[in-house]
Formats: sequence, C-alpha cells, structure tokens
Amino acid sequence: MNKKKKKKKAQLPFRLNILFFVVFILFSVLILQLGVVQILNGESFQEEIDRTIQDTTSVPVPRGKIYDRNHNVVVDNEALYAITYTPPKGVQADDRLEVAERLAKYISMFDKDPKEKKKQIARITDRDKKEYWYLLHSDEAEKRLSQKEAADMEPGEQYQTILDRITEEEISHYDEQDLEIILIKKELDKAYSLTPQIVKNNGVTPEEYARVAEHLNEMPGINATTDWNRAYPYKDTVRSIIGNITDEKRGIPRESMEYYLAKGYSRNDRVGISGLEEQYEDVLRGRKEKIEYTTNKNGQVVDMETVVKGERGKDLVLTIDMEFQERLDKIVREELKKTINKLPSLNRYLEDAIAVVMNPKTGELLGVSAQHYNRKTNKYENADYKALYDAHRPGSSVKGATVLAGYEEGVISPGTRLYDSPIKIKGTPTMKSYKNMGWVDDLYALEKSSNVYMFHIALRMAGEYSTPNNTPVNFKGDPFLKMRNYFSQFGLGVKTGVDFPYESSGFKGNAPLAGNLLHYSIGQYDTYTALQLAQYVSTIANGGYRVKPHFVKEIREPSPSEKDVGPVFRTIHPEVLNRIQMKDAYIERVQKGFRRVFTTGTASVFANEPYKAAGKTGTAENEVYKDGKKLADTENHILVGYAPYDDPEVAFAVIIPNTGLSSSQHPSNKTIGKGILDTYFELKEERAKENVTDAKEETESEE
Amino acid sequence: MNQSNHTKLNLDSTLIFIVILLGVISVFTIYSIEPTLPAKYEGYHFPIKQAVWYVLGGIAVIFVMLIDYDRFRQITWWLYGLGMVLLLILFFNFPSSIVYEANNAVSWIKFPVLGTIQPAEIMKIFLVLAIADVITRHNHKYVNRTVHSDLGLLVKIAIVSLPPMGLIAVQPDLGGFLVLAAIASAMILVSGIRWRVIFSIIGVGIGSLAVLFVAYKLFPGSIGTFLDESVFNHVASRFYGWIDPEKYPDSGFQLVYAMLAIGSGQLFGKGLHTFEVYIPERHTDMIFTAIAEQFGFIGASVVITLFFLLIYRMIHIGIQSNDSYGSYLVTGLIGMFTYQIVQNIGMSIQLLPITGLPLPFLSYGGTSTLTYLIAIGIVLNVHSRTRTFMFD
Repeated sequence: MNKKKKKKKAQLPFRLNILFFVVFILFSVLILQLGVVQILNGESFQEEIDRTIQDTTSVPVPRGKIYDRNHNVVVDNEALYAITYTPPKGVQADDRLEVAERLAKYISMFDKDPKEKKKQIARITDRDKKEYWYLLHSDEAEKRLSQKEAADMEPGEQYQTILDRITEEEISHYDEQDLEIILIKKELDKAYSLTPQIVKNNGVTPEEYARVAEHLNEMPGINATTDWNRAYPYKDTVRSIIGNITDEKRGIPRESMEYYLAKGYSRNDRVGISGLEEQYEDVLRGRKEKIEYTTNKNGQVVDMETVVKGERGKDLVLTIDMEFQERLDKIVREELKKTINKLPSLNRYLEDAIAVVMNPKTGELLGVSAQHYNRKTNKYENADYKALYDAHRPGSSVKGATVLAGYEEGVISPGTRLYDSPIKIKGTPTMKSYKNMGWVDDLYALEKSSNVYMFHIALRMAGEYSTPNNTPVNFKGDPFLKMRNYFSQFGLGVKTGVDFPYESSGFKGNAPLAGNLLHYSIGQYDTYTALQLAQYVSTIANGGYRVKPHFVKEIREPSPSEKDVGPVFRTIHPEVLNRIQMKDAYIERVQKGFRRVFTTGTASVFANEPYKAAGKTGTAENEVYKDGKKLADTENHILVGYAPYDDPEVAFAVIIPNTGLSSSQHPSNKTIGKGILDTYFELKEERAKENVTDAKEETESEE
Repeated sequence: MNQSNHTKLNLDSTLIFIVILLGVISVFTIYSIEPTLPAKYEGYHFPIKQAVWYVLGGIAVIFVMLIDYDRFRQITWWLYGLGMVLLLILFFNFPSSIVYEANNAVSWIKFPVLGTIQPAEIMKIFLVLAIADVITRHNHKYVNRTVHSDLGLLVKIAIVSLPPMGLIAVQPDLGGFLVLAAIASAMILVSGIRWRVIFSIIGVGIGSLAVLFVAYKLFPGSIGTFLDESVFNHVASRFYGWIDPEKYPDSGFQLVYAMLAIGSGQLFGKGLHTFEVYIPERHTDMIFTAIAEQFGFIGASVVITLFFLLIYRMIHIGIQSNDSYGSYLVTGLIGMFTYQIVQNIGMSIQLLPITGLPLPFLSYGGTSTLTYLIAIGIVLNVHSRTRTFMFD
C-alpha cells in the first residue's frame, strides 16, 4: 500500500517534469522564431516600412485659345467655378458623408429650373436613400442582421441584406436638405483616391465659390477651383473647321483610349475630336500640373511635391481673317439663297455653295466657306468642312492643267492651232464644244473654253493625231496615267496636305475608255474638292509651285495678359510640296489665257476691275442619283481665279454643285468669285485707311 | 530546508516578484502605447485603469489565499455552475439587455454596477477547479489503475470540459476554446492516466489530422467548400491568413502588420514611444508587438524569459506540493498560462494562426487580469500550504 502510494507520488513529479520539458521546448521555439523575425529578417521588415508609395496627380490646365490672323479671339476659355473632391487615401463612407453634410451648407446642388430640379430628385434612388439612412443609423442598421445570418454571408451580401431591411417608411421623410446631401455624396462616391472629381461645376455662383473656399479646412479633399469651357465669340463661323472637344463626362474617346493614356491623358480629360482642335491637340492641350504624393505604409501622405509645373495650352493664330470670313459667308449664302429662290423647282437639288480663298504664294487660307441649305429645316447653315470633304466634277476649270500637260508632253506648243468641230469616237456619243469654233489656238481655247481643243490634246497624248470620225481610238501607253500624273502636280486628285484631320482627295474614275479620257481632259470625269481646285489655281498663279494650304499661321505661347497674344512659339512657314515640271514660258502662256478668260472670255464680268484678275470658269454636267436611280441632270458651276494676275496675292475656288439645267441660270459662280475679290480688295483698302488714321492718332496723342 | 510548520503564510516571493514585474511592464507598455491609440479611446486612461485592476487583483489574491485551497472543492461545483449559467446567458442571448457584443463575438456580459465581464475568462479557473476535483475523486476511488478506469476518468474529464468548450467555441471565441483544451490536456497528462492511453489518444488525434490533411490534398475543392460553408469558415480564413498573410489580406492583415512591427524592432528596438506601424487594438491582444517594436529582441526576450520563469516556478510549486489536488490545480493553471503565452506571442510572429487571446498579465483587460491574478493566488495558496516534512 505504502509502496503503491509512493509510486503514485513519484509519478506526478515525473509527469510535471515532462510538462516542464514541453514548456521549455515551446518557449525555446518562441525565442528562436523571435530571433528569426527580429534579427534575421528585421532589416527587411524595416525596409518595407521605409518603402513609400508615390502617387502622382495631374491637375488639368486650360486649353490654348484660338485667334484669327488679326488676333481676334475665335475660341476662348470661359472660366467656370467648380467644386472638386480629391479623396485622401483610405477614406471611408462616413467620412464622405461628413464632407457632404458640411458642403451642403455652402452650396446648392439643385438646379434653379424647377423642372431640372425635379429630374435631379427623381434620379435619387431608394438605394441612395437607404445607404444614407444606413450611414446615419449604422448601429441600428447593423442590428438588423443577426450574428448567425452574417456568418453565412459575404460582406457585400450582408450590406445588401441590411439595406433591404430598411423600410420605405424610414426613408420617406427625407426633406430637400437630406436629398441635397445625398446628391453631393453620390458625386463624392464617384471619386478615385487622389484624383480630383468635380462635385459641381454647373452654375456655381461666385458666392458659393467664396463660401467653400473659406471653409476648405473643414472638408478634407474638397477644393474650390476654376474649370474651363470653350467659348466661341463668332458663334458658328468656321465652327466646323475649328472642331470640337469632348466633355468632361465623355473624357478621352473610348476607341483610342490606349493611345491617349499612353500620352499621359487621364480618362476624364477633354480632347479635340475633330477639326483643328483635333489636329493641334498636342499644342492646345498644354501641360498638366503634376503633383507627386508620397504615402507611407500607413497611408499617410508624408510628402507633396510639384513634379511638373503646369502650363496652359499654347494658342493658335489662324490664317483665317474672321472679318473677311464673315463677309465671305454672307456672299456665298446670299448667292445660294438667290439662286435657289430664283428657280426653286429647277434648283431642287441645289444645296451647297462652296468657296475657298487662299494666298497663292503662302498657302494661307484666308477664308473657307461652305453654305448648306438644309431642306429639312429650311435653314441655311455653315458647313465649311465641305470645302475639304466634298468632291465635285470641276468642268472646264481644269483646262489650264490640260493645256500645260499638252505642252509638257510635246503634243502641242504655245500657239498650236487646232480645228474645233465635233468628234465622234466609235461607240461614244458625239463630243463637242458648246459651239463649233473652227480653228482655235491655245489662248483662244482657254478664253472661250473650247472642249475640242482639250480633246485633241488628250487624243494626241493617247497617240491619236487624227480626228476620229466614228472610228475607234487605240491608246498607246497609258494616257490616263500620264494625264493624272500631270494633274496631280497641281494637287488635282491628290491630297492637298492641309493641316486638318481629314480631307478628301476626290473620286477617280476607273474605266480606261477613250470617251472617259476626253471627259477627263475637260473636268468631267474625276472629282475634286474646292480646296484642291484652290491649290491648282494657286499653282498656276504663283508660277508653278504647289503650296500646302494651311489654317494655322502661328503657334504662340500662352499670353500672360488677357489683352494681347503671347510670344511666337512656332511660325508655320509656307511649304512648297512640289514644283510642276512645265517650263516658265508654258506657265506664263496659260496665265495669259486665264487673264483673257477674265477680260474677254467666259468671265468678262471681271474685265474692268482694277485688281486685274485671271482665272477659269467651269460648268460640269452632273447627275443626281438616289438609291442608284437617276433623279435629274444638273450642272456644277465652278470658278477658279486669282488677282492681280501679274503678282497674285489672293486665289480662290468656287463650286456650286447641282444647279438646275437652264440657260437663264443665275451666274452664281461668277457672282461669288467677284464678291470674293471685291471684298478682299475693299477690306485691304479699308484696313490701309484705318492704319493711316491709327498712325495719325498715335502721333497726335504723342504730341 | 525546514520551513517551520508554524508559518501561517509561506509566500513564494519569487513568483510574487515576477508577477509584480509583469504588472509594471504591463502598465508601462500600455502607457507607452496610449498616444497611438485611435481617437475613440481618448480619455480612457488605460494605464491607470490597468494599475487599478492590478490592485484589485492583489486584493483578490489575498482573498483567495485566506482559505485553504482544499476548501475550494466544497464550492467548486457551485462556481462551475455559475460559469455555465453565464455562458448560457451568452448562448441564448437572454436576458439580452445585459449581453454585449463586440468585434463580432458575443463574449461579454454587462452588469449594471460591476461593469463588463467575460465569462470565458472566469470559466478557465472554474474548469481547472472542476477537473482537479474530478481527478482527485477518481484517483481516490480507483487506487489500482486499469485501462478501464483510465478511460472512465477521461470520459469524466470530457463531460466536465466539453460543455463550456462548446459554448465558448460558438461565441465564436476560438482562443478561449483552445485555452480550455490546453487546460484539460495538461491536467490529463498529470492525472496519472497511463502512458499507453495518453499515447493512444495522441496517436488517434494525429492520425485523424493526417487523414484530414491527406483528404484536403486529394480533394482540395470539396473540402475547401465544406470548410468555407461550415462553422469552420472562421477558423479556415484565419488558417489561410496565417499560411499566406499577403494573399489573404482580410484575415492576414493583422499578421502582416504585427510582423512588420516586431521585425522592424530588430535587436535593440526603436526606443520608447517610437512606433512606425499602426496596429489596431494594440493595448489588448497585440501588446507584445509594442514591446518588441520599442525594445527589440532584447526587450521581447526579457519578457519571454520572465514568462518562462513564471511557468518554471509554478511547475516547481506543483512538484513540491505533497498534495496531488494542489498539483492538479497548479498544472491546470500552467496549461492555461503556457498556452496563452505561446499562442499570443506565437501568433504575432507567424508561428501560429491568429486567434483573439490576451497575453496574460500584460494585455489590458479587467476580467482577464483579475482572472490571472486569482490564478496566481491559487498557486500561492497551494505553495503556502505545502509542508516540507523531514520524514516522508
């Protein structure tokens, strides 16, 4: 018994010793692991703490302005006050609610217009209200989900269930003040961490702006800033040339998102998506201010540094003269109106009148006008882009190029006389001039616009020197290729190189028939835009240089003052795309012919004008098709010209497509052409006078 | 050698000294963390409160020591019953006016005057008392051990421990559950149950774990969903968070930050009041990170060594006691302390998964501090009534 007890007694200390051994092992492991964590890996943990995260935030800058050549503002920036929210890192929903509650005291989110206000209120969903209720009564709300239920749910599901259990009654009593807070909070909730989000930018009054600015410190993340909107003092004048930018909501175009993101844009940046706004996006956008926030592992901002100083976008100075442009629009529109009104039924397919005016030596576009008659609304509107987009048959206006091609090819030479009588190629209708002219030389052929002269040039280029008399014509070589090659040297059938995101190079026919070749030579086959025609006539006017047309004259640094433009950043110099192959003597010959057109020829209305204009008329037969069905035969009326003919400073092209066929047709092409040159020289004179008086006044005031 | 029989109170000064030292460290560390606590704790004066708890705990120790621990057996089952009632109140959430929920666990009871208490904490002591009583009675009855009688004892211990363990587990309080398990295990070890039985239990335990592990390896999907959908979801997520804290930030973020704080303390620490890592609830379960960050490996090792000495001293008392009931009590408390210390420190250095458990003596907390001091009171009581006989 005693022994047993002893045995039992001895057993307990032994077991306790084993327990002690276990404890010893456990504590040893603790110390060992602690050593691993603190001594072995301690440094790397410290490094991780010291590691900070850099975040950069970009602050948008205003876009560059656009001026006309006389420094009148064409596109301006309108300052808009805006309240923005840049959430600090780790912001919670109740923090945002607090900010929203405070902000609601200083700004009004509702629109002044009661209708709009109703819409805004309607946009607040029950869910928004419930979320608001949840935040206000979080303790009570959380009680609606028991522990047991919560255990089986994802956090999102838990949240949804709690929202579902908030009754309609509880959220029904919200007054306007609550709704306003909800509206603000909805905007705040949209913001990404450290990225400014606009809370309100529509109709922020200066008072609201001031109130918010005074209380910024109460509302972490809120800022009162100015935002910009594009303003157009000239309304819709050259609007389609200027183009558009996206709004804040659309941001960068989705289809080219990666392109823009790679260039450092943010998703909500506004970018040019058409016209010059698109073409000159890179200079207009400016440089965003970049601020780098350094955050440590705990999410505190430890440093804030402006990495890139922001700069407003650079300004564009256009080659367009807005005063001239406005007059040009008026001339073209009135003429279109007059023509349509004179023969409304006959001209039922007439909808456009297009004019391009440029400096033939520099390529500066002084005015580009396309007036469009919208038959649906019965309104005339600016559609200037049509001067670059819409190609039409140019008719005889291209004969200058045909004659020059003939000289260069050696099939005619200055003074060559050819017999103008109808030509009948086998399988083709008889082709002739508007009257049989008999023997004509090159100058007369231009002056009176002989078609047959041009046909012979084309036939000879195809290797046919005799006049076909119901006989077929066999091409030697490829006369189309030859002709098009010469024409393209004038810009006909190729892109003009204008500084615009898109331009049409016209339509090229692809049936190499003899008849088509003859039609080509008189501008009845391929189609060209008004801009291409302007480039063509400029090339003849300036002695053979194809200059690139352009809308922008200078790029200027943002100006420090509102009144003046800034210093020149870059000047767009005239660019010669190519010199035509023809000898100067040949070019002069055609210039002479063009001058005769404008004195004794088909455009003799210019004969007595002191500015000594030259050019070429054109009438092209055209057809109007709809869904493959021919509706009517129409005519395109064209005029290209320049002045003064010996030292040209202005060149133009006019196209009035699809006028009705009638001998009493209004000569709108000439009226517009004349209007252009008259206005140009009038304006020049007015300005010269003004300058004189200005100078006088200056000297007077100096005294 | 001969500690006089007349001495009424034979106090173990070493143990008292260690506990006082830990108390000082606790108050001091809580004081050092105070400025970094979130604003919601402003005006709570944690260090002062903790000091007050220590004083109250000291008084409790005196009370516990007044009566011979042998007398505890008379009230053991009353206390056990009280603990169970408190746990049942939590379980049924009735009366709900006094049940208090925090951090997604229903673990607190709020009494109008006394303040909040955590029944799971008190239950630890009550369970120690209960199991010690069960073993003592059993061993009295079955002087000759057989496998049969050993198994009978095991069943008895299970009957006593499983109900409170279950009630604590569903709160959910995994930490509390494991503490009770640790208490029971330690006491089973010294209960005299024969090795072959103990080893068989361990073998079965390891075997079933291995089967589970293999099953998980073979059918990770179905077992995973089973785990996710069952009550073990809570356990599983902590497990994942422990294995790969960066990948499971939900459950792992605490560990990530704890490791950052402790690791960056390095050998010598960053110095008083220097904290670079924010850890939520640092004054309670995460207090060890504050020591390790401020005072480095050296400071942390000192604390661990103190704990080790504490346990060592307790084991010494357990061995010295010539009354097996006393030894059982001490062993149960050793199990409690050891598990909590190892678990709390281990979880913050990625040795064990994270469970919510205070670090004894150091973490801020009224009920827990009182509980541990009462436990120390019991140990002191056992020691003071141990007589060293010249002839034995």
